[in-house]
Parts: sequence; C-alpha cells; structure tokens
Amino acid sequence: MPHQCTDCGTTFEDGSTEMLSGCPSCGGNTFQFLPDGADTSPAPEADPPEKTPDRSTSDSTVARTVGSAAATVRDIVGSDPDGAGTDPDAADPLSPSSADETAPSSPDETVDSATDTGTTPDESPDASIMSNMEAGSVQRDSVTTNREDAAQASARSAVVSPGELPETADETDVSGRSQPGAGARGEAPVEGPEDERPDLETLRDELNDQFESIRIVEPGQYELNLMELYERDEYIIALREDGRYRIQVPGDWRD
Amino acid sequence: MPRLARAREDRMGLLTELKDSISRAASTLFSEQDPKRIGIYGPPNAGKTTLANRIARDWTGDAVGPESPIPHETRRARRKENVEIERDGKSVQIDIVDTPGVTTKVDYTEFLDHDMEKDDAVRRSREATEGVAEAMHWLREDVDGVIYVLDSTKDPFTQVNTMLIGIIESQDLPVLIFANKIDLEDSNVQRIRNAFPQHETVPLSALEGDNMDEVYDKIAEYFG
Repeated sequence: MPHQCTDCGTTFEDGSTEMLSGCPSCGGNTFQFLPDGADTSPAPEADPPEKTPDRSTSDSTVARTVGSAAATVRDIVGSDPDGAGTDPDAADPLSPSSADETAPSSPDETVDSATDTGTTPDESPDASIMSNMEAGSVQRDSVTTNREDAAQASARSAVVSPGELPETADETDVSGRSQPGAGARGEAPVEGPEDERPDLETLRDELNDQFESIRIVEPGQYELNLMELYERDEYIIALREDGRYRIQVPGDWRD
Repeated sequence: MPRLARAREDRMGLLTELKDSISRAASTLFSEQDPKRIGIYGPPNAGKTTLANRIARDWTGDAVGPESPIPHETRRARRKENVEIERDGKSVQIDIVDTPGVTTKVDYTEFLDHDMEKDDAVRRSREATEGVAEAMHWLREDVDGVIYVLDSTKDPFTQVNTMLIGIIESQDLPVLIFANKIDLEDSNVQRIRNAFPQHETVPLSALEGDNMDEVYDKIAEYFG
C-alpha cells in the first residue's frame, strides 16, 4: 500500500517512516494512499475472512479485503525476494486510473524518479477507489487489473529498489492481474484466487499487523485502529474520499 | 552592516524567547493554579457534549458545542478553558476538552437513518473519522486527566471502552468514569461499576442535571 506524495509523486511503502517527516523529495505533507484492493480484485471469494478478521466482515469490505489479500499473496510470492512485499494490506484500492497514467506508461521511470509521476496521482484517485469498490469482480477486467498492477508495482518499486522492476515486468501472472509493464512481481506464480486462499489464511496475522491507523473501506466507511492512532506521532488531520489524506508532522521533525 | 545588526537582533530575540519559554515552563512546574486539561472521552452518543455543556454553563455561562441525538455530532475536539469550579470554599480551575466519540468503525449508512442525504452522511463520516484520530492524538499529547463518559443504558463491555481505559491507565492519567443517562429507565450504573471496578464511577444525568453536585465534588477531588 504505497503512499504517494501528491506534490511530487514520490511513493512510499506502507509502513514507511520516511514520509513521516514530510516528503524527502519535495517537503510536501499531503500524501495519497493507494490501497491495493483495486488491483487485487482477482481473488474475490477468498479474502473476506483474512483481511480484517473482526471488522472487515461486512460485505462492502469484501472486495477490498480480497484485493488486499491477493496483493499480499502476490507480494509474498513475487516480491519477497526483494523484500518489497511487506506492504500488502493497505494498498488495496489502488486507483486503476492513476495506475494507468503513472505506472503503465513508464514503470521504470517511476521507479527511477518518482517525482516524474507526481501529476497523475491527483486525478486518478477517485476513479480508482470507486473501481475498487465495485470491484469484487475486477478479475475480469484484465485491463484494469493490469493497470493497477503496474501502478502498484511502480509505486512499490520506487520505494524498494527501482532496478528490480524493469526486468521482471511483463510476466505477471497473478490471477489476471499480471502487469505487462509494471509486472514487477511478474514472476508471481500465484494464479487463481483458489491458489491464494490457503496462503491467505496464513497471511491473516501479517495483515493484522499491518492494519493501518485508518482504513478506507469505501468513501464514507472507515475502520480505525485506535492503538495505531494513539501511538503515532503524526496525526491525520484531513481525509479525502479519494484516499488522500493530510498529516500533521511534529514540528521538530523538520529541522 | 545592516545584515550583521539584524542577525544580532535575531539572536537577541531568540534569547528573549528562550527566556520567556523557560520562565513559562518554570511557572508550569511550580504553580498549582495552572488549569489541568481534562479530556471528556467516551463512545459516540454517550453524552459527552451534553456533559461539557452542562459543566461549562454551570460555571462559565457558555456552552461548548451543539448536542445531537445523531452520533458523531462532535467531530472536532472543542476546548473550554479556565472553567473554575468552586467546592467547599476552594476553587479548582480546569480546561475541559470535549472530544469526538471514539469508535473503531464509522459508516455513513448509519447516518442515512437520520434523514441525511448520502453526500452529507459521507462527509459526516469522514469528519467523524478525522475526529477520532484527533481525539486519540489529544489523549496522548495534551490531556492531564480524563472523564470517561458512558451511556449507562448500554453494555460497557466493548472493545473501544476496554482499549481506551487501558490506554488511559497506561498513561497513569487520573480518570473518573461517568455513568450518564441515569434518568432513563434502562440505566444500569452497577453494570458499569462492575466493568471497571478499579475506577470511581459517578452516576449522573448530564441532560437533566441529576447528581451534578457529586460530579463537581469528584472533579475537584480528582483534578483539582
């Protein structure tokens, strides 16, 4: 679940602490959260349970859950080698549209310099989220999926290690999500939702660990992790439906 | 060298500021009269704002914020400073912070039942979520004591209550539990006492003003 600076487009892995003191590239403090749910749509059936054991049971969250679960699986399979795969939970609703613009065009570039992508994120978020929501079915749209994957991949790669992405690209198989360009995880052999299911259960703990302070199930529906909110030094002062949010950074973090 | 002069001036200003802030810190350390900041916490619709308004009206004449039967009416923490409560000839000064109701789930569809348009409901939901984040932030950073308000007609054994009380305890903050809405038939104060036996539970109706004397006694005792 990459976070992305809305000013310069730099992306950060979920759980990354880099952005807590503002964007290292441009100093911006507005970030967009790109949930993986959107991308993940492929594995609709399997996930509901895994994602949020307690809270996410509601129908609306299912799509998301699935997506994230799928993402997690993919990460584990594909990204583990790199170590990039840690972020699966949050990023579900990756916006396909954003993905299209940012990732697909030039995954590699994004990786190298996240800044370039900066413009795209703003426009796409809404669309992406919406798509996610509807998306329990996403699997079918290979197109959407691909885009999402690309976006996600690029986002992740930017954080992790740019070099890796380019090579792997094009191969992604993950149940219809395969990303031609971005397919960072391309190797990910994970195929169908079915395959993922077993893994998903094991991933539950991981997902829980990664549960973010605020999860946008869909615009207007939120799940909050009170301990996370309490323990964070920075705090979220403005949420946007598109998944973006503004955080307040403690003064001493910025010189 | 105007630049040098300015630099020196800046430095002097800095020194003065430093001095000021040191003396401020010293006065905070040594003065007993600095008002304690008391956070009013609890789940949505427990009556936090009604209580805050009751206290503020009783002692300052002002209200803190609008009350509503619709959950999450308070979506930003509101502070009322220098509320002076007189007890037994002594006066206790507190700042009261009315916080948004804390919950683990905010869903706009809940508001649709209250004749709200979807757009408004979604916005309310978003603001409520921000409010929870803010409330949790305050709890960590800016509160010297906590009044934990519960609706005594409801089951107090909830994840949110347990978690929040646990956090408050871990902070070693003085805490009073207020069993609100005792004017309602279903009220069960004992259930709350049983749930949190380690803390003092004060029954009251903030709406009706029932038992407010004891409320103020306890506030003075705990936070004075």
